[in-house]
Amino acid sequence: MSNKEKGFNFKLYGIITFISVAAILAVVCVTTFGAKYMAFHPERLAEFYVDTIVQTGDGYNAYKNTLVSKNMKYGDFIRKNYIDPAVNRDGNDCSDHSFKGEKTLSDDGTLSGKLIAQMYPVYGELLNTYGWDDYDSIFTKYIEKLLTVREEIFGDKFFNDEVFFTAFEANVSAYGKSLTGTDEVYDENSGVKLSDKTTGIYAEKFGEDYKITCETVSFKEGYADGYLMNADTDVLTFYGVDAGTVESVATAVVNVNVNGTKLAECEVSLVKIGMSWYVDNLNTDTEMLYSFYK
Amino acid sequence: MSENTKKKYMKKSEIITFGIGLFGIALLTGWMPDYTATFFADFAFKGKGFDPDVMSNMISVVFLVAGIVGAVCELVIGYLVDNTRTKFGKVKPWVGFGVIPLALISMFVFVSPDTDNQTVAIIWMFVIYSAYTMICCAVESPANCFGALCSPDPSERSSAISIASFLRSVGQSGGMVVILVVGLVMKAVMGQQQFKNAEGQGLDLVISTGICCLGIILFTMIFFVNNKERVPFTQEKVSLKDAVKVVFTNKNLLMVSLTKLTGFGRGVYGTVSLYIAIYLLGSKDLKLGLLLPMGIGTAVGTLLVNFVLKKFSTKQTFILFSLYGASSLAILFLVSRGIGFNDGLIIPFLILNFFCGLQHGNTNVTPNIMIADCVDEIEYKTGKRQEGLAYAGYGLFSKIASAFTKALGPWLLYTWSGYLVSTDVNVAYAAQTDGTLNKLLMIYTIIPAVFVVLQAVPIFFYDMVGEKKDNIVKALMERRAAETE
Repeated sequence: MSNKEKGFNFKLYGIITFISVAAILAVVCVTTFGAKYMAFHPERLAEFYVDTIVQTGDGYNAYKNTLVSKNMKYGDFIRKNYIDPAVNRDGNDCSDHSFKGEKTLSDDGTLSGKLIAQMYPVYGELLNTYGWDDYDSIFTKYIEKLLTVREEIFGDKFFNDEVFFTAFEANVSAYGKSLTGTDEVYDENSGVKLSDKTTGIYAEKFGEDYKITCETVSFKEGYADGYLMNADTDVLTFYGVDAGTVESVATAVVNVNVNGTKLAECEVSLVKIGMSWYVDNLNTDTEMLYSFYK
Repeated sequence: MSENTKKKYMKKSEIITFGIGLFGIALLTGWMPDYTATFFADFAFKGKGFDPDVMSNMISVVFLVAGIVGAVCELVIGYLVDNTRTKFGKVKPWVGFGVIPLALISMFVFVSPDTDNQTVAIIWMFVIYSAYTMICCAVESPANCFGALCSPDPSERSSAISIASFLRSVGQSGGMVVILVVGLVMKAVMGQQQFKNAEGQGLDLVISTGICCLGIILFTMIFFVNNKERVPFTQEKVSLKDAVKVVFTNKNLLMVSLTKLTGFGRGVYGTVSLYIAIYLLGSKDLKLGLLLPMGIGTAVGTLLVNFVLKKFSTKQTFILFSLYGASSLAILFLVSRGIGFNDGLIIPFLILNFFCGLQHGNTNVTPNIMIADCVDEIEYKTGKRQEGLAYAGYGLFSKIASAFTKALGPWLLYTWSGYLVSTDVNVAYAAQTDGTLNKLLMIYTIIPAVFVVLQAVPIFFYDMVGEKKDNIVKALMERRAAETE
């Protein structure tokens, strides 16, 4: 008889232990999730949004916390609205294997690297002309140019999402490095030096040990009624957001401090849908965040 | 007494619940090391601005220190287990009561402090992971030696150990399923992008750890409620000196433990599997394809060993499987060389990988049965029953062997093979010479094959089989019966 052995009730102990530990684990998980999940904290979300942009000029990834990404994965949003029309152009599916020419099939990364290098000035030009608040122009015009440049380099019409994301994200990353600079990079196994150290624009302007910090200095939460009266419901529908589901709105003013001195501020609009907050990219002007160092 | 009328000590359900207990423990302990490393490196202090080089170096040291702490704890816990005398037995209290702090400390490994001080962060990593390692040792080691106590009948306990080992090996990969399911549920509840954002903060790891912790409690409690130790412990207290001596002086136990050392290079294939997928099979995505057939082969091999053990002794089974393992790896090498490194190799390679995996069933099961037999032998000779230390000694050798494997694998790959690293930022993996590709294949096949043969060498000196084993078991039965009377 093992269940009730010498006065000890194993079954009761097992049940009490399971329930008690389950309760503790649930509390720890919920508390940790609540504390860390950005979308539950509008002030931190606004700060994070601004910080993402100012640290590396990355307006591209900042959209992952906006209404654009409310209903679908940000990458899928770009695929559906910008990449797919380019893939399915002139009545063809240009992502089909048959569109790959000899150079595409035999490329070991050299030609892809050349494509990335040639597209980088295009990305910089689009950023200066339109800014990330007009993501539509950036994606549309970048892909137009990408199709042309790629065809010149590879000699075929092949195009798919990987071609876009590889080139575009490499350009976003390179732009960030132009601001921050880079350390020397060595292969961790062989010790071979892969790239030299570079000095970025931020270090040139603010000194080698510059520190950029973002701080929410004011936060106001209001009712959704006013927001709904002025909302561009067509765009919200385009994002897959039902305006009626917006429960609350808020505005956070975030200061950008460099080495402790305020150099810019951004008023971030936020909306609450369900339990989560999103940056309202339709009503947030980020232009200043790309020029505070100039 | 004939086989058919032989007395059964364990209920059928006990054999299953022993396996369920080990499954639960493996679910958490299989999950923790890799995902803790990921959590520490990528999520615990994300956005804090800590020096990434310092952090990654420190994470390596954290795991090195934890490895040393674990090795020491193996012996200490083994000693403490052997000196445990309770009305529930000597192993069950460690498992049944120890699992509560284990589940809680595991959860807290994934709850990092909100600090901007890098030193505090590093100290926290050392403390929390060392604490986890110690408590883990206090539960896992005793649980592993329960097999030696579940039945006084060697054949019955062999079956129980085989089935439990199978479920344990399944449990070790259970975490991968948990995180997959957690991801799917989070996507469904939060939406795709919000899931990606939460994943970026390591929150899927936190929830998955919570589930693994709950799993260990549930499955271990099933074991704790249903299973009973059936081999009476001896009353003599064991001194620490005598205890450690047992690990190194009992010939048969030492031979079983030495299989780990002489076969330490068996695992170097893991270091090179990514490169085999890239260079020989054509895509790094095929790494999972490589490991999956081998994993299935291991699970099947674990069950297969049980059948082989009914026909052959543990010694014969171990040697047989080792020879089979070496042969299967040699065949994989020859077939790969014959076909060449092209698309045509993929299917034969993956099929042969399954057959190479079968041998791992042997190393999962047979040594555990042998150690249980050694515990009988030690009790017969000394009058003291020392499951804790016998399994702890084997665990200690396993940890040393694992450190050797981790040193040999990268040396073979990056130095001996002449592997060329890509210096072009746009080219992930540089083209390799035929000589290097051949050496990569050897690291995956021939070199492990040599160590598979070497692991069998100490077993030739193992003699706790046949008539000797039967006589010892019989003598112990009689001795226990006399003591009961």
